[in-house]
Amino acid sequence: MSDRVGIIGIGQSMFRSRRDDASYPDLVREAVVLAMADARLELDAVDAVVYSLSPDAMIGIGNAERLAVDAVGGRNKRFMRLATGGTTGISSVAAAYYHVASGACDVVLTAGADKVGECGDSQTVLNKLWDTAYERALPLGTISMLAMSAVRYMKNHGMTQEDMARVVVKNRRHASLNPHAHLRKIVTIDDVMESRYISWPIKLLDCCPQSSGGAAMVLASEQYIRDNHLDAVWITGLAHCAETYWIGDRMGNNPTAEHADASALRSAFERSYKMAGITDPPKQVHVAELYSPFSNTEFHVIDAAGLCAPGASVAMMREGQFELGGWLPVNCSGGSLCTNAISVTSMARVAETALQVWGRAGAHQAKGVKVGIANGNGGDHQFFGAMVIEA
Amino acid sequence: MPLKIQPAVIGCAIRPVIPGRDRSLEEIMYDTTLLALADAGITIEDIDGIVVASNDQFDGRAIAVMMASSAVGGVDRDILSTPSASEHAFVLGALRVASGQHRTQLIVAWSPTEASSLSELQRLGTDPYYHRALPLDELSSHALQAAALEHAAPGARAMAEAVTAKNRRHGAIAYPNLAGHGARGLARWPITADMTTGPVTGAVAMVLASPDFVRDHASAAPAWLRGMGWATETAFLGDRNLATAPALEAAARQAYEAAGLTALDIDVAELTDASPYAELLAYEALSLAPRDRWEACLNDGTFDSGGRLPVNLSGGVLTCNPVFCTGLIRIAEIANQVRGRAGLHQRAGARIGIAQAGSGFAMQHQAAVILGKEART
Repeated sequence: MSDRVGIIGIGQSMFRSRRDDASYPDLVREAVVLAMADARLELDAVDAVVYSLSPDAMIGIGNAERLAVDAVGGRNKRFMRLATGGTTGISSVAAAYYHVASGACDVVLTAGADKVGECGDSQTVLNKLWDTAYERALPLGTISMLAMSAVRYMKNHGMTQEDMARVVVKNRRHASLNPHAHLRKIVTIDDVMESRYISWPIKLLDCCPQSSGGAAMVLASEQYIRDNHLDAVWITGLAHCAETYWIGDRMGNNPTAEHADASALRSAFERSYKMAGITDPPKQVHVAELYSPFSNTEFHVIDAAGLCAPGASVAMMREGQFELGGWLPVNCSGGSLCTNAISVTSMARVAETALQVWGRAGAHQAKGVKVGIANGNGGDHQFFGAMVIEA
Repeated sequence: MPLKIQPAVIGCAIRPVIPGRDRSLEEIMYDTTLLALADAGITIEDIDGIVVASNDQFDGRAIAVMMASSAVGGVDRDILSTPSASEHAFVLGALRVASGQHRTQLIVAWSPTEASSLSELQRLGTDPYYHRALPLDELSSHALQAAALEHAAPGARAMAEAVTAKNRRHGAIAYPNLAGHGARGLARWPITADMTTGPVTGAVAMVLASPDFVRDHASAAPAWLRGMGWATETAFLGDRNLATAPALEAAARQAYEAAGLTALDIDVAELTDASPYAELLAYEALSLAPRDRWEACLNDGTFDSGGRLPVNLSGGVLTCNPVFCTGLIRIAEIANQVRGRAGLHQRAGARIGIAQAGSGFAMQHQAAVILGKEART
């Protein structure tokens, strides 16, 4: 087992709407300093940097990773950037994993930041995701895109708007315990139900915030970790999988993939579980950080992670099984519903899962968890990354 | 550090220019993918991972990889994207095979020219407070590097002209049908228009495979990855000595060390001549020729098609400039050289080649890739 890849350091900003006190490279640097201190290493120990940034337009600078090379200590070192939309953060961790698992590097830093709260209107940028000739003109945004998913999930699995509100109430309660979270105010089902519609059935409080902040993680080879007497948790399974670009092909009479669900995420999790040797996820997984920036999507992500039968997540949510203290806590940090700095939002999912199985999650720590899962979704609900992390 | 598993290149499709506008960008990706798979003698069913690279601004999309998921066979596959550089897609694909988690990787990069001004798009990639107002685009940054090198290396201008002449001679042999496409670029003092070539639409795809896959499929003419290095300089030109290439020196050290080879072992080289001055700097950083030997090597034909170490037998970027793809194309050209599939510009008996892929402002990103006809022993 000397070929494992470990997570040895984690850094996250205190995510907020605006960070006028910090330039874009400053934000990345903030996370890097925290992660390196957490790893108890100096930047000289880092062999390579994987930069997490997507999309460019959110920052307003083309290929802004170039401007942050010094901020991440990357000058004259191995450096590359990953971009897969909201999946970018977990894609970057995966790329860092491959740097180590291939034998090319012993210590790899992955880092990024976003200033979504300062970009003006993220949905205007995100409309540019779609094809110029067909779907961009609808006009689509990520909210209207996932509202269509919500409608289909309601029809297929009986989810109600109150069920969606239960996800918000749970995640806000969790976020209130997490000092890094952006939206930490506890809300009630009535608060959610009374908030204004953004794109039916998604209401304002069903939506993630536009967050600014950075995140960074340090990965290392098992040999390096042992030689340097470092503490670590381990990435034991990982995979990505994609669906079609065309939303229209996920709806209609014969969809290639059902837009209510996340079939490619299911494939990514199945591949990750196989790699990790997990054969019965509901029994073997203890905690989950699942990317769900809108309340309705948490249900189909729980389904796709194989934690229950498709659609059963709705009843289980009503029973409180995904609460901190419940059967299998989901999004103990508050998740991307409470904090969403797009470039690093799914890196934060991996980081929070690592902290949970490490037993270092602080006030939002779930008890006795040793095996955790994380995921990221990106593009127009098209790219999916999954990861298994074990103590 | 050597890779745990040695990847091989088993298929390449180099499309240095795609004339006309009768194929959409999606169709260009699709066509290029099919060509690379055919060259590898496999189908998309054999591919278990994909890494693509493109520039969102050039493509006019917020997340350009999204469109690629269908066009390159990414649906239901593990697909990632490295928009920092086309060569980074190769690096990541190689790391994925070397990790043992993937048996094959499809690498695809493209560079369209539909945007009204690539120069303006490049300017939007500069620091908004200092560089953007200059105004700066990539050619301007190459010109600043050229001026710095002329100052630091007397005679550099004449040598740059010799590099230009050499690469034009090679390009006329390698791709005679490209005459007329982007024949002349723009001038930025001290770079003359004759030293550059205008942007064209192009694409490139490669197939990487593990030794097990090569054996099981009896893949013809694999090019084995002997060594690979990559490194990046700071973005702030004022913080750099543009007459040197420290990131490429670092990348070269990584590559030679992993390969257990020196520059004396190299039979053929492809360098990113975004300007001829960049090619001169690469001679030094890759240890192909120290600065005080540049003139002699150019005069005695060392780097010519019949010389001891031919450089840019394809004609390089000077012959065809699909801007974002040029780095990955250099790697594909070297792969084809050691596979014996370089066509009109094949170096007879080439067994070990080195590709230098550079990109960004004054070649901020650098990579060195050594490929060999034989697997490492």
